[in-house]
Amino acid sequence: MRAYYSTRHVLDRAFSGLGYGSVALMALALVALLGPIIGKGLGAYWFRGTVEFRLFVLERFHRGNAKKIGIEHREAMRAREPFWAVLRAFEAEMESDSALRRRVGKDYHRFQSHIRELLGPIPGDSPPLLMRQQYGQTRWDRALVKRHQALHIEEWDYGDGTGMGVRVWKPRRLLYAGTALEPAFDLLENHLEAMLRPRWTWYGRFLTDESFDAHFFGGIWAEMLGTLCLTVFAMLVATPIGVLSAIYLSEYAPEGKLIHLLRLFINTLAGVPSIVFGLFGMAFFIHALNVTPSKSVLAGSFTLALLVLPTLIRASEEAIRAVPQAYREAAFSLGASRWHTVATILLPAALPGILTGTVISLGRAAGETAPIIFTAAVSMGEPLRWGRLLTAPTPALPWNLYNLCTEHAAVDEIRHVQFGMALTLVALVLLLNMAGIFLRARVSRQLKV
Amino acid sequence: MNWKSIGTATVFAAALVGGRAHAQEKIVIDGSTTVGPVAKAFAEYYMQRNPGVAISVSESGSGNGAKSLINGACHIATMSRAMKENELAAAKEKGVDPIAHIVCMDGIALIVHPSNPVKEMTVEQVRALYKGEITNWKELGGPDRPVVVISRDTNSGTYEAFEELVMKKEKMGEKTEYVGSNGAIRQRVLTTPAAIGYVGLAFLEGVKALRINGVEPTAESVNDKSYPVARPLFMYTNGKPAGHVAAYIGLKDTDDGCRLIEDIGYVPLKVKAVEKK
Repeated sequence: MRAYYSTRHVLDRAFSGLGYGSVALMALALVALLGPIIGKGLGAYWFRGTVEFRLFVLERFHRGNAKKIGIEHREAMRAREPFWAVLRAFEAEMESDSALRRRVGKDYHRFQSHIRELLGPIPGDSPPLLMRQQYGQTRWDRALVKRHQALHIEEWDYGDGTGMGVRVWKPRRLLYAGTALEPAFDLLENHLEAMLRPRWTWYGRFLTDESFDAHFFGGIWAEMLGTLCLTVFAMLVATPIGVLSAIYLSEYAPEGKLIHLLRLFINTLAGVPSIVFGLFGMAFFIHALNVTPSKSVLAGSFTLALLVLPTLIRASEEAIRAVPQAYREAAFSLGASRWHTVATILLPAALPGILTGTVISLGRAAGETAPIIFTAAVSMGEPLRWGRLLTAPTPALPWNLYNLCTEHAAVDEIRHVQFGMALTLVALVLLLNMAGIFLRARVSRQLKV
Repeated sequence: MNWKSIGTATVFAAALVGGRAHAQEKIVIDGSTTVGPVAKAFAEYYMQRNPGVAISVSESGSGNGAKSLINGACHIATMSRAMKENELAAAKEKGVDPIAHIVCMDGIALIVHPSNPVKEMTVEQVRALYKGEITNWKELGGPDRPVVVISRDTNSGTYEAFEELVMKKEKMGEKTEYVGSNGAIRQRVLTTPAAIGYVGLAFLEGVKALRINGVEPTAESVNDKSYPVARPLFMYTNGKPAGHVAAYIGLKDTDDGCRLIEDIGYVPLKVKAVEKK
């Protein structure tokens, strides 16, 4: 073997090295992107649920063994009893000691609100209205965060005030040393498991449960259904139009300047940013055509259909063109009309290619956010129902994911929902694509026989 | 294939007709991201008690809410400012008669990262900051760090209220960063130690609200009007509301409605509800 060090050889090496490099980079990016989505997203489905979670599911969805949960809940309540007793004793102490009240009254108020977030209403509270105040933490990971907040006072050490402060978690018990509240901290530290009874829970119904109280509770059914309906209707609108246009362009259209221009327009349309489609959809479908007076699945699907149409037309046209010329000639020589040829020979032969285009468009329609902001998506709404499948606005996965990550008042409390949504969206698109690939494989296998 | 498309078209048309036939009581709400939490809590409360009503809430900013109402695209526009002259004129032109309902009061809190040692400012200092005259925290007794000034976009009602109450109609500096929602400002400040922003009282989790002119932004200080940067939050309807829309807005005067408003962090109009607690 002789080693070549010619320029050509070096360039060749460098080129393939670059190629491998970019592939590796892409794989890395994919892992970096999907890793957290899958890892944290699974946390929405599989987590350590507390007794509060089971109580919530039983009370709102009437699922679970009522008797067993009742017993478990009573036991948890019994485990909390000593804790409440300590709180009551401390309140009595504060009642009689006004100096103590002045010293810690304000902080005790904060402590109480942490406890309410952790365990739910304190006995003697008037029944709360917001659901987030009716239950304690449903997830053990969140409960640990809340416990930390209850056990510590967050302070910022600013030094001489000329630098940025440093966070200091000061144990809260120091403030209450020697008071009746002191045992409460040990109880929290050592007996929280008995109070909340965490257990690994598979919450598959996250996908099909309605959400409650601005996504603090429940699942993502409304968003899920919204995305499905938007995607399916968009494809129902776009596919016939797209395929028919492709047939016209490839089989019927006379080659000329006009058709050339038309193709140019279609190609340009494919490159128009999706937000432009969104604004156009609002102006055209809602304000001009008035398909519905306000945002609706219908307006959103039409807009999405417009968005995917260019891709669909191009893919279908390519597929039809790729059918060998001999097929057409054979059909014509047998006396078949043009339409007959298209319908019985060309379309079936081009079906795998058309399906590929459809599936790619499907994935795109499911994931697009910008076109539905103004035409279909709302940040809160009921899941779609049969009677108003098309006329109602709907939450949808991509838009609500954005909404929950930026506009929600308690972004950090519902991280698991955000990641759960992201995972679901990715899985949905992946599933749609796989279904498409499967279908395509089946169709082409049938064609070969 | 063509039979398939004819079939799908039929199904589609049927669904369309079906959708039109079963019109259900629907309330569409669009507008302010500040009023959003109240609108959502009210919606949930109302739908639980009236299962036949479907309420949807969008949070696209006060300006969009007004546009939506004027175009007849929503029943209720939530706004964190009053409608402007030109909006009222546009409404009149389209035969829309906007009626304002004050839902609750809100203070606009100036927020900084909790690691920032600065605790209070005067309205004048805030204005100077947003005008770009003060550019370093050092000038306010803080660390030697350039200030990252964050504002709401001009579509926002909170922006307009801030412009009126703090900026006194003076222009914001060139370096001001504009973001699209209360939540986004809060997030930006949470992740940027040298930032300052302004949000409604429901968005204070994790950030530090500054004392303005020596007054802390709380329900009490907004209520007794000692906090200088406070404004009412509105819901607008086309004409006098009736039926479910009236009942939904009417929640603001019920005890439960006031408690919801309080729990979210705003200040209900009925002061009694505050005292009861």
